[in-house]
Amino acid sequence: MRRSDLGEFEEVVLLTVAVLTPEAYSVVIAEELEQQTGKTITTGAVHAALQRLENKGFVKSEMGEATPERGGRRKRIFMVTVAGSRILHEVREVRNSLWDRIAPQSLPQINIA
Amino acid sequence: MMNKFQPPQFADRLLEYFCAAHLLEEVQGDLHELYGQWVEQHGVKKARWLYIWHTLKFFRPFVLKRKELHNPTPQTMMLHNYLKVSIRNVLKYKTFSFINVFGLAVALSVCMLIILMLADQKGYDQFHVKKDRIYRILAEPKDAKAPYATTPVPLANTLKNDYPAIEASTHLIQGVGGEAIYQQRMAEMRGFFADTSFFDVFSYPLAKGNSQTALQAPNTMVITQALATSLFQEEDPLGKTVEWIDRRLPLLGGGPGDISVPWGLYTVTGVIDNKNHKSHLTFDVLISSASLPVLYAEGKMTDLSNDWPNHFQCYTYALLYPESNIQDLTASLHDIAQRQYAGLEDREDFQFSAQPLMDITPGPILGNAPNHGLPLVAYYVLASLALIIMLSACLNYTNLSIARALTRAKEIGVRKVTGALRKDLVYQFLSESMMTALLALGLAIVLLFFLKNAFMDLWINRHLRFELQENMIVYSIFVGFALIIGLFAGFYPALFLSKYRPVKVLKNIGNIQPGKLGLRRVISTSQFIISLCFIVTSLLIYRQFKHFLAFDYGFSTEHIINVPLQGNDYQLVTNELQSVAGVSTVSASEYIPATGTNNGTSLRKAGSEEEYTYFISLPADENFVENLEVDIVAGKDLPPAGTASERFIVVNEAAVKAFGYASPAEMVGLVLDSKWDSTDLEVIGVVEDFRIDLPMNRDETRPMMLRNQPDLFRYVNIKIASGDLSGTVARLAEKWKNIDPVHPFQYEFYDQQLAATHQGILDIVTIISFIAFLAITIACLGLLGMAIYTTERRTKEVGIRKVLGAKTFSIALLLSQSFLKMLLISIGIAAPLSYFLNNFWLQYLPNRVDFGIGTIVAGTLLLLVLGGITIGSQTIRAAQRNPVDSLRDE
Repeated sequence: MRRSDLGEFEEVVLLTVAVLTPEAYSVVIAEELEQQTGKTITTGAVHAALQRLENKGFVKSEMGEATPERGGRRKRIFMVTVAGSRILHEVREVRNSLWDRIAPQSLPQINIA
Repeated sequence: MMNKFQPPQFADRLLEYFCAAHLLEEVQGDLHELYGQWVEQHGVKKARWLYIWHTLKFFRPFVLKRKELHNPTPQTMMLHNYLKVSIRNVLKYKTFSFINVFGLAVALSVCMLIILMLADQKGYDQFHVKKDRIYRILAEPKDAKAPYATTPVPLANTLKNDYPAIEASTHLIQGVGGEAIYQQRMAEMRGFFADTSFFDVFSYPLAKGNSQTALQAPNTMVITQALATSLFQEEDPLGKTVEWIDRRLPLLGGGPGDISVPWGLYTVTGVIDNKNHKSHLTFDVLISSASLPVLYAEGKMTDLSNDWPNHFQCYTYALLYPESNIQDLTASLHDIAQRQYAGLEDREDFQFSAQPLMDITPGPILGNAPNHGLPLVAYYVLASLALIIMLSACLNYTNLSIARALTRAKEIGVRKVTGALRKDLVYQFLSESMMTALLALGLAIVLLFFLKNAFMDLWINRHLRFELQENMIVYSIFVGFALIIGLFAGFYPALFLSKYRPVKVLKNIGNIQPGKLGLRRVISTSQFIISLCFIVTSLLIYRQFKHFLAFDYGFSTEHIINVPLQGNDYQLVTNELQSVAGVSTVSASEYIPATGTNNGTSLRKAGSEEEYTYFISLPADENFVENLEVDIVAGKDLPPAGTASERFIVVNEAAVKAFGYASPAEMVGLVLDSKWDSTDLEVIGVVEDFRIDLPMNRDETRPMMLRNQPDLFRYVNIKIASGDLSGTVARLAEKWKNIDPVHPFQYEFYDQQLAATHQGILDIVTIISFIAFLAITIACLGLLGMAIYTTERRTKEVGIRKVLGAKTFSIALLLSQSFLKMLLISIGIAAPLSYFLNNFWLQYLPNRVDFGIGTIVAGTLLLLVLGGITIGSQTIRAAQRNPVDSLRDE
């Protein structure tokens, strides 16, 4: 059974792939995520998420060109598929509608820098 | 950006090993890219660690290789097949499998015990940080049988000061053996004098105190945790002052001890935590060498600090610089020997040598060794006995495998026809034998448990302190050893079986010969030869043991107990114990005859120029002769101790003979002088010969003199008259508390003491007879296997013979014939062989039992009975079977 829902980490990875396209591969995705979230994120974790996303059909991949810093090994470039795009939009829609329905003052006030 | 440095290769290989092929390229590429960044950020060293760490973090389910992702190679497929076939074979022929597995397991367990012993010994002194650079210095006088572990006292300092190869050296001076007294508590302590360099060389951890200063000041001491606990219990030992009463107790325990002498007050400056640190050095206490000058001045110790000829009191250890080697040390030692001993006549060719710390346990036989331990040569002997058994078990495997060639012939033929090369078949049979060996290993580990306990119960282990602990290293050695054994046992059968030509085999099975019968006979015969030799040897040693036990010492030991004086005045002890109910007489002596100790002196007729005659000298009081029921043949007994009593001696008949007198009476009144002191001695009486030497050390009784010297007495001998032995001993112990409240009452029954001197022989009997038992068991198992096989193969023949009218007995005989012949040949060879081999050592043994034909006949009968039962069990059964059953088999 292939689950078609999207985990939280998977969601950010998928978004990052979209951000970095056409140059999205594991190492830069991990770097980007670290910068954005401020948490330590290992390539291994990103790899695992990308594998799951690919299995669910949300991303597709192809082998890119080889570079010297990779010891002559090729990288796998990821792109968001139509299904990926759809699920991202769905998720966003759900969130937006929820945000819209929050009454003013019902969230405790915080200062966002 | 280029990677100047390769990431760690083994991590790459690890990744390649576990990572699925379709992911490998990108994962590895990622890691390499990251590595480049890490090198820039953190430097190479950290980057390498990160690389390894991140490689390990890729150990995630999605990365791992899946089974379905890689196809099994033909090799692994065949291996599976081999294993399956061998398991089926083991299960199908249960009897043969049992014989093989059991035989190998028994032999393996013996070998494993020896591996355990060696592992224990190799575990000694491993905790020293600089263990590979530490050497013990040995002294080698020209004519000594073995080098001495002790060296001259000044050697350590000379080495350190004058020779550049030596970083540090330390001496351990003997002479600490007495009691430590703190408030009302007393504890025995034995050990050495040592200085601060002790901690430069060795790495004993100090639980308390500072190792740099602990042994610096005079009258300071470092004690072990065990002594600290018994002396101070809960208190902090550091800084406490202890009174030291010296009793000249020997380092290695035992000994009656000398008269107590106070050696002053000592402050505890350190506590060594040596509980988990096995070392060849055993001590309870180290006293600072700085305390010695005072002891020298008071005359309590002899000052040897510049005495080069005396090499009996001090152990020397040297620590070399990392860049120096043993040759440098040896050269230095030669130089010292040359300079110190050049002029000395009796130290000609005196040499020193260096022994690496790691070679001490197990090591060669040494004089004055600071530890009890089996010498290396004992391990060689034990290991060769074990290997003989192992060989015998391997031969069983070889033998049975070849004998069963017929049953495997078809399989071999089919395998070859379907394309197996000879090499493949060799692999198959070897994997089979190794599997058998591993099965045997499993059984052997169970057997080892029992064997270990039996071994630890041997008398000798009261002295050797073996700790036979298995650990991972030992287990991996076991597995490795088992595999080697499997390889060895299966080697010949594999070569032999794989040789069969498929066409021949498949065409006509009946025609192949199951291996050369000659070779198998030789193997089996040699097994029985070995067995018989062991049986005869163990019987002989046991008879010798019995002979020693029944030895006539010439005195009576009945109801005599020996009590060490433990430093108390003998007169007081005698008077007090004499008054205890149930005690008949009390006498005193310096040592106990025939228990391994004796002293000697050299005497001749006073005023003559004759050669001196060696006399055993036994200081004893006036009741000694009567107490031991030795008859006086001429003159009278020793006088009670008094002013002139030390002039008179009592000698034995051997002395009369040595001086050439026809009758003992002629010797009475003779005045003798001693080579060693100026006192003249007058013979006042002559007693019958009795034993002072150990019977296993000497054949004849040597001349002996008794002399009443109360200062030297160390034991009282108490004869108990009443039948109530234990009650009397209890009353004696009660009385002892009044005499000496500090030391507990110690006693030994004299007859048990004498028996104990032969316990070592009993251990040898136990070991050899156990080996004999194993040898005969394995040989019989092999014979059983062959008998089963032969009778099975000849079932049809037996049936036809019976139908034609043969008697059961004649058939059994027919089937047994070749085996019986084999047994007889082994006996024919082994009987004379064991006779000669055993005479080899027996002739050097004093007071030997006569090696009659009886021992050999007994051994032979045992072998015949066991072999006969083994063969008979199969052949008679086969002969009794109803021919209808066997002929219907087709």
